[in-house]
Amino acid sequence: MWHVGSTNDSMHVELKKVNAGYYTIEGFKSIRRKYVQVLNEVSLRIRDGERVAIIGESGSGKTTLLKVMLGLLQPVSGEVWVLGQNIYNMPKRDRWRITHKIGYVPQDPFRSLNPRLKVVDIVMEPLERSKFSEKERVERVSEAFKMVQLHESVLNYYPSQLSGGMMQRVLIARSIVHDPEMILLDEPTSALDVSTQAQIISLLNSIQERLDCTMITVTHDLPVAQYLADRVVILHKGSIVEEGGFEEVIRDPKSEHARHIILSYTLSVNSTNLL
Amino acid sequence: MVLAVASKGLSVGYEEVDGVLWAVRDVSIEVKAGETFCLAGESGSGKSTIAGAIAGILPPHTVTKGELYINGRTVIRDETRDYEGIRGRVVTYVPQSPGASLNPYMTIEEQFYSVLKSLYGLNKRESKERAKVYLQMVELDPDSVLDDYPHELSGGMQQRAAIALALSTGARILVADEPTSALDAHLRLQIVEELSRLRRETGVTLVFISHDLLLAGAICDRMAVMYAGVVAEVGGARAILEKPLHPYTLMLVESTPRLDRRKQLKPFLGEPPKPGELTNGCPFFNRCPSRLTVCAVKMPPLMSIGGERHVACWLYE
Ligand SMILES: Nc1ncnc2c1ncn2[C@@H]1O[C@H](COP(=O)(O)OP(=O)(O)OP(=O)(O)O)[C@@H](O)[C@H]1O
Ligand SMILES: Nc1ncnc2c1ncn2[C@@H]1O[C@H](COP(=O)(O)OP(=O)(O)OP(=O)(O)O)[C@@H](O)[C@H]1O
Ligand SMILES: [Mg+2]
Ligand SMILES: [Mg+2]
Repeated sequence: MWHVGSTNDSMHVELKKVNAGYYTIEGFKSIRRKYVQVLNEVSLRIRDGERVAIIGESGSGKTTLLKVMLGLLQPVSGEVWVLGQNIYNMPKRDRWRITHKIGYVPQDPFRSLNPRLKVVDIVMEPLERSKFSEKERVERVSEAFKMVQLHESVLNYYPSQLSGGMMQRVLIARSIVHDPEMILLDEPTSALDVSTQAQIISLLNSIQERLDCTMITVTHDLPVAQYLADRVVILHKGSIVEEGGFEEVIRDPKSEHARHIILSYTLSVNSTNLL
Repeated sequence: MVLAVASKGLSVGYEEVDGVLWAVRDVSIEVKAGETFCLAGESGSGKSTIAGAIAGILPPHTVTKGELYINGRTVIRDETRDYEGIRGRVVTYVPQSPGASLNPYMTIEEQFYSVLKSLYGLNKRESKERAKVYLQMVELDPDSVLDDYPHELSGGMQQRAAIALALSTGARILVADEPTSALDAHLRLQIVEELSRLRRETGVTLVFISHDLLLAGAICDRMAVMYAGVVAEVGGARAILEKPLHPYTLMLVESTPRLDRRKQLKPFLGEPPKPGELTNGCPFFNRCPSRLTVCAVKMPPLMSIGGERHVACWLYE
C-alpha cells in the first residue's frame, strides 16, 4: 500500500537510485519514441528543515531533478520519497495530497503564469483546496504580496502587464502563501536586481525559519546559494558528483567538476574585478 | 557621427482603465555606433520598456511621447511610431524570457529558417549552415539541438538558442534584455566574450540590459542606471561602479552579494513608488539616506558632473 511511511520519517526527500529522462518523438514515416536519460542513479537524502542548494552546469539536470521531486516526471527506475510518501507508487490522483504541500517557483517566470488569470487568482491558487475561509485567503494573499515588495494594485494586473522581476515575485508569493512544508526554488532571483534580490533572500530565509520547512534552491549564482543554503549538491551530466557543507565545498572542492564551477565563478568575478 | 540610438524626452506609458501608467518618463539617452551601452536598475524601473521601444515591439496599448531615433531615422515622434525596414533588419532583439522569442511549435532549425528566409531569402540548406555557426558560438551542439523543440531544452539552452538566433540576423544593433540571467558563470563568461568578439570584429552596437552590475561593468562602455522610469545616473560604466554618485546606485553597489564575505546582506528598506503614485519630487526620496528637503518637492534634472558623467540628484547641484 502506498500510505506506508518512509523508512526514516525525518527525511523530507529521499531519492533512491533514480533514473529519469524524457521520451521524445522522432521520425516522420514511422514515428518512434526515443528515450533520453537525464538523471543517472541519483540518490539523495534531505532532512526535514534543511536548506540545500543544487548547483550544476546548464543542461546538467537540475530542473529535471526538481520535476521528479514534484511528482511531475515519473522516473524509469528508483524510488522517490517526498514528505514520507513514495510518490510514484500511489495513484496519480492522490499525489496532489503530497505535492500541494510543496511551494514551487519555476525557472522561467514569463512562461509559468497563466496569461488568462489575474495575479490575485494566480497567487490564491494554492489555497484553493485549503481549510482557509474566503476572508483568510484574501488576507494571506495580500500579506504574501507585501512580503515580496509588490504593490497591492498589481493584484489586479494580468501577467502581460508585469516586468520580469515582478513576475518572479508573483511566483514567489504564490509559493509561500499556503505555509508549505517544503519550498523548491528554480533560479528564484535570476530576474531580480540586487536590492530586490537581497530583500527576497532575507524573506525566503525568514519564512524558512518561521515554518521550519525544507528549502531546496537551484541556482547558478554561488553567492545566492551561500545565503540560501547550508549544504550543496553538485550535479554533473545527471549525476551527483559532490555534496557537503557549503563552506567546505567552496573552500576545498573534492571533485573536478566542483572545482571547475568554483573556478569559473572566480574567473568571472575577477574579469569583472571592480567592486 | 550618427548615433545608433538616441532618445529625446522619451516617455512610454501603458494604457490602463483609469489612465496611462508611465513606465518611462522623459528619458534622453545616446548610444554611439559600435559601443556597448547598458541599462541597469531596479525591477520595474522601465528597462524592458525602453528595450521594446528601441526594438520596435511595444504592444499596441502603449502610449509614447518625445522622440526616438535609430541610426538617425525617426522611429518615434510623439504618438507616431514607424519601424518599417528597421525592425529585425537594423535592430534585433533577445527578449528577457528565452522561451518567449522561440516559437514553441517549431524546431530550432525551423526557427532559423523562418527568420533567415524572411530577412534574406535563404534556403533550408543555407539557413542550416548559418544556424550551425551561431549555435556553436554559444556552445550548443547543432547536431543535437537543431531537431529539438524549445521545451526540450533546459532554461539556459533556450537562452543560448535565442541569442544565436538574434545574432544570426546580422543586424547592426543588438538589444539584449537580460541575456545571461539563466546562465551559470562559465556560460555567462562565454557569451560575454562572444559578444565582445562580435563587436570587435563586426562593430555591432550592443544595448545590454542587465541587473548584474558586475557584468555590466565588465562589458559595457557606458551605462545608464534607471530608477522608477527615469535615468538616475549615466556615464562610463567603470567610473560609475568605482564611484557611484547617485544614492540609488550606491545602494545597488552595496547590496551586491559577494561570495568571500559572509556578511549580512544589506537589504534596502522601502520600495520604489508605483508609477501611478509619483510626486513632483525625486522618485527615490522615500528610500534615500541622504535626502534634502528640496528632494520632496522638485525632481532633479540630469546634471553634468564633468565629462560624460551625468547624475539626477540635488546633492550634486
Ligand atoms: N521536456 C523535455 N523533453 C526532452 N528533453 C528535455 C526536456 N526537458 C529537458 N530536457 C533535456 O534534459 C537535459 C537537462 O535539462 P534540465 O532542464 O534539467 O537542465 P538544467 O540543469 O535545469 O539546466 P539550466 O541551468 O540550463 O536550466 C537537457 O539536455 C535538456 O535538453
Ligand atoms: N505590456 C504592459 N502593459 C502594461 N504595463 C506594463 C507592460 N509592460 C510593463 N508594464 C509596467 O511597466 C513598468 C515597467 O516595466 P518594465 O518591464 O519596463 O520593467 P523592467 O525595468 O524591465 O523590470 P525587470 O527588471 O523586472 O524586468 C512596470 O510597472 C510594469 O508593470
Ligand atoms: Mg533549469
Ligand atoms: Mg525587464
